[in-house]
Amino acid sequence: MSAIRNAPLQYDRHIESALSQIGELLKREYGLSKRTVGLLLLQTDTDIEKLVQKHEAEALPSIRKIVDETRSLYNQPLNYVIAMRRQQEATRLSSIVTTSRGKSGTGFTERLSRITMHPVTGSLILLAVLYLGLYQFVGVFGAGTLVDFFENTVFGQWINPWITGVAIRFVPYQWLRALFVGDYGIITLGLSYAVAIILPIVTTFFIVFSIIEDSGYLPRLSMLIDRIFKTIGLSGRAVIPIVLGLGCDTMATIVTRTQETKRERVITTLLLALAIPCSAQLGVIFAILSDSKLALVIWVLVVMLIMLLVGFLTSRILPGEKATFYMEIPPLRLPKISNVLVKTLTRLQWYLTEVIPFFIIASVMLWLGELTGVFNWIIALLKPVVAFIGLPQEAAQVFLYGFFRRDFGAAGLYDLHNSGAIVGIPLVVAAVTLTLFIPCIAQFMVMLKERGVKTALAIAIFIFPFAFVVGYFLNLVLTTLRVTL
Amino acid sequence: MDLEEKTEELLETIWVSIKEQDRDNVQQDEVCTGATEELEKLVTAGYVTVSNGQLSLTPRGEPLARNVIRRHRLAERLLADVLNTGDSIMHEKACKFEHLLDRGLDDSICTLLGHPKICPHGKPIPPGRCCQKQRAPVSSLVSPLSRLNPGQKGKVAYVHAPQIKQLQKLMAMGILPGAPITLIQDFPSYVFQVGQTQFAVDNEIADAIYVRLLQNEETADAEVTSPPPKTVGGRWGWRRK
Amino acid sequence: MNMRQTVLGVFGLGKRSGSCCGPATGPTENSLKKIAIVGTPNVGKSVIFNRLTGTYVTVSNYPGTTVDVTRGKSLIAGEKMEVVDTPGMYSLMPITEEERVARLLLFEEKPQAVLHVVDARNLERMLPFTMQLIEAGFPVILDLNMIDEMAAAGIEIDVVKLEKELNVPVVATVATTGKGLNDLRRRLAEYVGHPECTVTI
Repeated sequence: MSAIRNAPLQYDRHIESALSQIGELLKREYGLSKRTVGLLLLQTDTDIEKLVQKHEAEALPSIRKIVDETRSLYNQPLNYVIAMRRQQEATRLSSIVTTSRGKSGTGFTERLSRITMHPVTGSLILLAVLYLGLYQFVGVFGAGTLVDFFENTVFGQWINPWITGVAIRFVPYQWLRALFVGDYGIITLGLSYAVAIILPIVTTFFIVFSIIEDSGYLPRLSMLIDRIFKTIGLSGRAVIPIVLGLGCDTMATIVTRTQETKRERVITTLLLALAIPCSAQLGVIFAILSDSKLALVIWVLVVMLIMLLVGFLTSRILPGEKATFYMEIPPLRLPKISNVLVKTLTRLQWYLTEVIPFFIIASVMLWLGELTGVFNWIIALLKPVVAFIGLPQEAAQVFLYGFFRRDFGAAGLYDLHNSGAIVGIPLVVAAVTLTLFIPCIAQFMVMLKERGVKTALAIAIFIFPFAFVVGYFLNLVLTTLRVTL
Repeated sequence: MDLEEKTEELLETIWVSIKEQDRDNVQQDEVCTGATEELEKLVTAGYVTVSNGQLSLTPRGEPLARNVIRRHRLAERLLADVLNTGDSIMHEKACKFEHLLDRGLDDSICTLLGHPKICPHGKPIPPGRCCQKQRAPVSSLVSPLSRLNPGQKGKVAYVHAPQIKQLQKLMAMGILPGAPITLIQDFPSYVFQVGQTQFAVDNEIADAIYVRLLQNEETADAEVTSPPPKTVGGRWGWRRK
Repeated sequence: MNMRQTVLGVFGLGKRSGSCCGPATGPTENSLKKIAIVGTPNVGKSVIFNRLTGTYVTVSNYPGTTVDVTRGKSLIAGEKMEVVDTPGMYSLMPITEEERVARLLLFEEKPQAVLHVVDARNLERMLPFTMQLIEAGFPVILDLNMIDEMAAAGIEIDVVKLEKELNVPVVATVATTGKGLNDLRRRLAEYVGHPECTVTI
């Protein structure tokens, strides 16, 4: 293939003359043509200006002068003028290479698409998606049926007894044995929580999320919810990290990068840390509250109310650019099973490599804590706090777990509920407080990285007492009203 | 029938006080304290009658007053939509402008603006003859995307974004003058199609896109003949094409 | 600042000298030829990346999932090359941080081929970015993706004519099924395989 020579797109007289003048002033290579550097400078691209400033600052004043002069020749901003010219050329080009048989008209997918976007039918579809996808599939099937099977049968009947037997035979010291198979053992607590409780829930969630994602439903959800999100200082765009947060808040905090303004990123990070339960929490909470529909409704309402309230107040306090919303709506597509599965697997892989070390470390620390007595000391510290919100003292342990990872705490709560230690009002209070409770260590690390020390600390310092205050008042209200759950 | 500006204004006030509050007459001191001279002119011209301190419009005065209101509110629309005049000076400018919209010119402006039903402050614009016989071919209509009805088509006329960043977003999406555009839905967000792609945007961005409506006989006709009421409640008006 | 960290992270401080004309004289350990995939969100960049590299990155039917730059290796015409998937960008003027990351990558890493993936149904809307890339002097290959959906919409594109007009290779693909991928590999090999200067700056 021979060298390709492109006749450059010609802009109008003034811009062309500005470009050649700037081109002469620029002496250095910028990894892209001088023409482009000139065009970007004309469009006041601050990054490029900084580059020029860095490498040949002496040229900048004259360049700025040319830019200003050129700008004054037009009524519209220069990037508009330049974009217009390019679009004109694009239209010309596309018209000579494309033929359209004009097979327009609203097909089935288009009609379906409009139904999903209509305020009334769209809301109904959203409720259906939440009910079937989250509640039935993740909550009832994932956190109920699957967890039951893995925890009671796979771990309870097969793995734990077997591994305990092995440990008793080969590890002579009780204190060392406890590291692997004790109450806080790596296998009996750490791995069994990770694999038996968290894995089924997270898997079901990621399957649902992948299907929703691939079908093109998320942008439709964004457009439906934009107005509501505006009241909490976000745009419909925030739907993506928020919904992903229902899977894993840590993952979602990374995705806040797609948001446009710093303000939105801070608000989303706060709400993710505060009010968005991760799938493990969600699944466990669905499972333990499903006995009483009223309890579930209270939990949902309180958490949503807190999210809206805190979001609303934060958006009032926080300065910065307001969020605007624009989003491409892709056509609805039938998700490909293979794609959904591969995607679920990739996410699970990420999740497990992230989560298992944490669970093991948590187990080790708990084991160490018990061995040294530190654990009991912390529990003793937490007990009055837990009692303050009307919970039995066993719950202190759950909060300590929750400190390591949200899902760890959720799994602990699940255990506690199963043992019958916590029912009725305290269960709802525990569920709410644990949902709001401090972001787990993993999420906090990501917050530090993405938002900086100051913001991350401020968020954590706000959330910790806030969660307990909400718990306290919820307990107060429910007991005063003598709500039976 | 040429009335002075001040007199016309008084006539407007009387009409608004009567018609928009569903009354037959209005207390004199409610509408014109100190404007006795103007009132006298209206009475002499036979547009307004006074009895026991109550003012009422005569059969001759009523349509005239209605027309003044119509011109004023159309002028406001023109100032707001096309000339993008700020709210603070709009009323004052509209008062001056309304006098220019005389003798049929109001119908042309009304047509140009797509027979708007409400003024920028949400008050109804009395329909003129042009609104009744909307079948007449529409010459040129420009409207922000946010004010189109779902299903209406057009081409992007111009983009008026207050912030450069917004403009950049719009340009990136390919929303530039000349691009064919169809509004699909206007609540809870604006959904529109440009070329083969659909976008959802919020109010702020939809306000920045001005659309010249297509002069396609069939579609334009069907749309314009019975436009759904575009009031606040009408935001829910969602129709399939 | 965050931005800085991201960018440094992305580039691993590996600044490369030399122009596109010379053979890849990377001073760092990585001297593989490089193909960068660019394009607006939601046109199938990641699927193309998966097809080329055989590794899997998350692909979604909504904008904004590829926040980071994903790298993979691909064997093209017997030569191992590095393929880089970038966050979605609409133009060379960045609006969001992701776009800024994607642009910086193009500036600093000087890939041997820039594969511009577009939604074939929306050629008119996509071409301005192609023109910008060509204008900037990048070795561009235009990939008209999703031609199945284009055909379903009743649109046809004269690929040969477009190639002549733009003066860069144009290929048509359906990334999800793999259609046209062999052609794409062949054209990439041709394009990258020749070390002589492919574009004039």
